[in-house]
Amino acid sequence: MPNPTPLNDATIFVVDDDAGMRRSVVFLAESVGWQAQGFADAESFLAAIRPDTVGCLVLDVRMPTMSGLELQHTMQQRGIDLPIIFITGHADVSLAVQAMKQGAAEFLEKPFRDQALLDAIAQAMRRSLATLDARRVHRTVQAQFEQLTAREKEVALCVARGQPNRVIALALGISARTVQVHRQHVLEKMQAHSAAELAALMLPVLAAAQGPV
Amino acid sequence: MVACLLSVAAGCGAAGAQAQVGPQPVQIGVLAPQGPAQAAQAWAHLEPYLEAAVPGRRFEIRTFDLPDLSRAVAARSVDFFIANSGFYVDMEAAHGASRIATLESPQASSPTEAIASAVIVRRGRDELRSMADLKGRRVMAVSDRAFGGFQVAWRELKQAGVDPYADLASLSFSGFPMQQVVLAVRRGEVDAGIVRACLLESMVQQGQVREDEFTVLAQKGGAFPCQRSTRLYPDWPFASLKHTPNDLAKRVATALLAMPRTENGHGWTVATDYQPVRELFRDLEIGPYADLRERSLKGFLQRHWVWFALAAALLAAWLVHSLRVERLVHARTAELRRALEQRAQMESEARAQQEKLDHLSRLGILGEMSSMLAHELNQPLAAIGNFARGMVRRIEAGRLDAAPLLQASHEIADQAERAGGIMQRIRGFVGKRASRREPVNLRQTLEGAVAMFCSMLSHPPAVTLRMDPACTDPWVQADRLQVEQVLLNLMKNALDAMQALPPSERRIVVECVPAEDHFRVGVTDNGSGLDPTSVGRLFEPFFTTKPDGVGLGLAICQRVVEAHGGRIWAAPAPQGGVSVFFTLPRTAHAQSHPPE
Repeated sequence: MPNPTPLNDATIFVVDDDAGMRRSVVFLAESVGWQAQGFADAESFLAAIRPDTVGCLVLDVRMPTMSGLELQHTMQQRGIDLPIIFITGHADVSLAVQAMKQGAAEFLEKPFRDQALLDAIAQAMRRSLATLDARRVHRTVQAQFEQLTAREKEVALCVARGQPNRVIALALGISARTVQVHRQHVLEKMQAHSAAELAALMLPVLAAAQGPV
Repeated sequence: MVACLLSVAAGCGAAGAQAQVGPQPVQIGVLAPQGPAQAAQAWAHLEPYLEAAVPGRRFEIRTFDLPDLSRAVAARSVDFFIANSGFYVDMEAAHGASRIATLESPQASSPTEAIASAVIVRRGRDELRSMADLKGRRVMAVSDRAFGGFQVAWRELKQAGVDPYADLASLSFSGFPMQQVVLAVRRGEVDAGIVRACLLESMVQQGQVREDEFTVLAQKGGAFPCQRSTRLYPDWPFASLKHTPNDLAKRVATALLAMPRTENGHGWTVATDYQPVRELFRDLEIGPYADLRERSLKGFLQRHWVWFALAAALLAAWLVHSLRVERLVHARTAELRRALEQRAQMESEARAQQEKLDHLSRLGILGEMSSMLAHELNQPLAAIGNFARGMVRRIEAGRLDAAPLLQASHEIADQAERAGGIMQRIRGFVGKRASRREPVNLRQTLEGAVAMFCSMLSHPPAVTLRMDPACTDPWVQADRLQVEQVLLNLMKNALDAMQALPPSERRIVVECVPAEDHFRVGVTDNGSGLDPTSVGRLFEPFFTTKPDGVGLGLAICQRVVEAHGGRIWAAPAPQGGVSVFFTLPRTAHAQSHPPE
């Protein structure tokens, strides 16, 4: 298994058109040891962000050019999977419902207690990291799978489906002995200790390879 | 018209002088419908009788046809006249003629029922039986101004649905004497003739025609001895004129009433009521009730239509020509005018809209301000909180780097300054104008505020303005705009307090009660009322019972009222709502400030 991403790589992005508010949230986040970065509008944030960025977004609902909800929508379209903490000056239930439906992590109404924001940030960070780790594991397994020969890939998929050597030999038109050799190579190359572990690792690959087999 | 009046005025002095000189004979104008000779003979007895009865005055009878008599009256060349009732009513209205006696004719049982018309046709014309049958026929009368000889019958024709000027094949006028009409009917020149009732009988008696030659249409029964086609009207009056000396009129009147009946049965009686004649004129819209010239013009047009048609054709040709030339100009002008009108309308609409918006903003000012104020103050306050908490956390964690702490301190100071700036702006907003004191009519201010309030709402509540009768001249020294804002605010509060009621049951009463040195204004709603503790706290700044309220409205009202030297308080209304009262000190109304 790859190592979990260290927390100090994560950044808290603060998007708020009110400079005082923006700087104060950055300052508060930095005060408890997070990395934080402020943006005056949604557009400059979108220009700076990369899809694999780890962290969370503290977002003002009402902004002049692109509203918080619009930014949320745009990020989803671009596959940017950052948890969002919305901040609003107005108690607006319908707005909150819409934001949460679109997957917001939290919806805070000004004035809020600093602890509430910091708790929300911590939880969002954990979620972001978990997402990122899962993505990394998936990428590693996929890369190892791509290293296999064509015959090994066929054998690997059958093993992951839990088929015995005899059945695989019959299906592929080769001897059971040859299957056993391939199986050994696959387990070594995929860094798996057993057929069960291979099956677990291969779940995303299996899902992707459903078609051809 | 002016010329006519002038001539009358000029004649006045002359007539007065004439009456006083004495030797000048008193002129009596007599209408002669059957010709001057007949009239002169009929009235010949009057001259000697009056001269005997009124010693020292000579009397002269002069006969006239209708237009001449009318001119003579206008020119004051007669002192009295004897004429038909229609002419008299006309002169009464036009020249102030005044009846002093009414003729008693031998044939009439009563002087009020003495005149009628007979519509005669040649005997044997069986298709002509009623007035309505005259439609499309040739009809003759003596004159369009003759009373018994035309107008009386006209009324009956009109009631039968026949307009003599429009529905007849021809309407002709013979002129006096009236016998010509009878003769024209006999000769077959016309289908029917309109004559005064009894004319036919008198002509038969004199052997001029035979009775069996004619039939009278639509005969009416009754005690009247002659055949008639119409209802009855009062007999001829003896009338004096405005310039006739009063004592002369009186002496003539007395003499007439004392006069014994002549051998042909004529006498004079007390002047009767001519109202039926006025009614006829009103019905026909003639005489005093319409412009006679319009009718005669119409008749003139009917007689000379060929020439008018020719002239009209020429005129039309010329019109077509000029229209062709000017059509483009007209079109362009109309277009331009339309555009201008449209622009003017849009401008006035925009102005009205702007005024409404101004009013609206004044009413909604506090409501708007409340959410604006909340949002604007939230930002710096939240920022200050974040910086302060952040600093606390750093210090607690022992992270005492000077730079970030200093930066946060600066930020806190900046944000506090910003909050102060917002408050400053709100204060400037509330007190934008310099307060002005001038004598203000409280009644007008209340009326204006109520009207303004109602005009701003699509479904205004019923607002009743009750002015104490003693509030006749309610002048206060005040800033009218500020007092208006207080009133609008109180009415807005009252409306808000009634939100639970259906719109039709929402009622606001605005009242003014005078006291020795001030006026008390009350605004009362019929909402659910307030609990006693809330009533006590109403005027505290930021105290509010509304979910979206800020609690500044009444505090500002209090500031305004107290600045005017008045008091403001709230009390539960007897019928369940809340009353808010405020007082404004009375002022003597300065002469230099008339009410607007």
